[in-house]
Amino acid sequence: MIEAQGLTKRYGAKTAVDGITFSVKPGMVTGFLGPNGAGKSTTMRMIVGLDRPTAGSVTVNGKPYAEHRSPLREVGVLLDAKAVHTGRSALGHLLAIGATHNIKRSRVDEVIALTGLDSVARKRVGGFSLGMGQRLGIATALLGDPATLILDEPVNGLDPEGVIWVRQLARHLASEGRTVFLSSHLMSEMAQTADHIIVLGKGKVIADSPVADIIALATGTSVRVRTPDASRLTELMRTDAVTVTSAEPSLLEVNGLTAPQIGELAARSGIVLHELTPAVGSLEDAYLSLTQDVVEYHAGGTPAGASASPTPSTPTEDVR
Amino acid sequence: MTTVTARDSATLSTLTFGGVLRSEWIKLRTLRSTVWCFQILAFLTLAVGVLVALNTGEEGAPQAVQQNIVLQASTAAISFSQLVACVLGVLVISGEYGTGMIRSTLTAVPRRLPALYAKVIVFGVVTFVVAAVSILVTSLLAAALLAPSGVYPDLGDGDYWLALVGGATYLALLGVMALAIGAIIRNSAGGIAAALGLVLVLPGVIQLIGVLIDAKWLQNVAFFLPDQAGRKMFSYGAPNSVTDGIVSLGNWQGGLVLVGWVVVLLVLASVLLKRRDV
Repeated sequence: MIEAQGLTKRYGAKTAVDGITFSVKPGMVTGFLGPNGAGKSTTMRMIVGLDRPTAGSVTVNGKPYAEHRSPLREVGVLLDAKAVHTGRSALGHLLAIGATHNIKRSRVDEVIALTGLDSVARKRVGGFSLGMGQRLGIATALLGDPATLILDEPVNGLDPEGVIWVRQLARHLASEGRTVFLSSHLMSEMAQTADHIIVLGKGKVIADSPVADIIALATGTSVRVRTPDASRLTELMRTDAVTVTSAEPSLLEVNGLTAPQIGELAARSGIVLHELTPAVGSLEDAYLSLTQDVVEYHAGGTPAGASASPTPSTPTEDVR
Repeated sequence: MTTVTARDSATLSTLTFGGVLRSEWIKLRTLRSTVWCFQILAFLTLAVGVLVALNTGEEGAPQAVQQNIVLQASTAAISFSQLVACVLGVLVISGEYGTGMIRSTLTAVPRRLPALYAKVIVFGVVTFVVAAVSILVTSLLAAALLAPSGVYPDLGDGDYWLALVGGATYLALLGVMALAIGAIIRNSAGGIAAALGLVLVLPGVIQLIGVLIDAKWLQNVAFFLPDQAGRKMFSYGAPNSVTDGIVSLGNWQGGLVLVGWVVVLLVLASVLLKRRDV
């Protein structure tokens, strides 16, 4: 369980994280999405006390991270694969980190086997591929068998097999009742892994909902129509509730009418349709529309406090 | 690949300072560079000591001079090995900042200061032991090599042993001071430059200016710098005196001044480590 209250981080004049409030619950995978520079990594660093919040607080399993008697058993964290001395072997690294918590050698061997590092465990980390480094980072996170896992971009640099492995691992850990909080820029990955998603944009929470709700945001909003008689069809569809945009002469993007309605309308008027496709919402579309909104908003120079983000059912959304 | 994790194998483990000490010991011995540096330190002490012993010797010298000859051979390498201790001291911590390892370290020890102090203790003790063993072995070799030229150290002389152990303590303290500098600067190149600047360059510069402008106080300041003060720890029977307005620190006083440097820099490093983001 991770709970953030008005968590804020400023670097000089720049606000990286702007008073965010959220909670990450046990027993499910919570995704943390946002464009580069949205403040995801800063937030994760604040959770484990590497960065000190400018304001606000964050607790893990009820206490600030540093106040736990055995922090590695509470939280396992992969911040980036490069948090390892390049001159040391993977085994040496895990033994050294494990030693702080008196973690047994058998557990170190266990996480090495679990992450598929057996063959390279005695090699120096400097020669590791990005994927191997990532596996070592995950092995380090799992070392204390923690109740909460925080993984920043865990699939970065992994091959397809590794991506599937991380996905299964995250789901498995959540099924054991653990709290799993992972960030990714791969929306499709999130759709398959996460149960709940928190979207961060410009340091603010812009959505905090179950995956299904986020996808629903982008579903069924537009229909693509291809017809040689585009101008006549546009005339027929024109009402206050309908907007039609056209990227090329014979292609229309229709909002406000369903595909059957458009088809029937065309049939009554004898208009030939070459294509009639309802846009299938994806997490990616939803994510882009959410974050685009934030970006445009700021680009427009409107005061940030007046933001009305398209967030459905967000009880913990930032309301400042 | 499997996704099985075992909850029970880790359940008895908990964070302890002993564990942090062991972690730092594992870190120190699992890096090739540290192992090399300690080997170089030991080799330098022996090699330089033997060379000096082979080229000195004085028939019929007073006992105090004989003691001093063996001591100088045993500690002659410190002028070089202090550089190794400084570089290694800085690297022990700056290497973690350079590679990002520090984030793993401070995630495991989120209160931070125990990690720094464990580093100080482990690195200080290991440096002391390596230096002490090398210096003692060198003193035995030197004594053997000097015997033909009529130099026989009196092994019942407390000042003699104090100076030998003082040499090792000097290297350990200087290394720890460099570690504190590394923790403050958090960058290998900058940390090494600062540590060597303080130990090698600053004393000469201050002394030179002091002589040029004929300011005794400035020359005295130089004697309170880490290496000038610390070197008294392995000077044979150095007394504490003021002659002609120039201060000369004794063995213990010199050592305490160096300890002062270490403490001040460690306090600064602690405050910064606690306060700064990683």
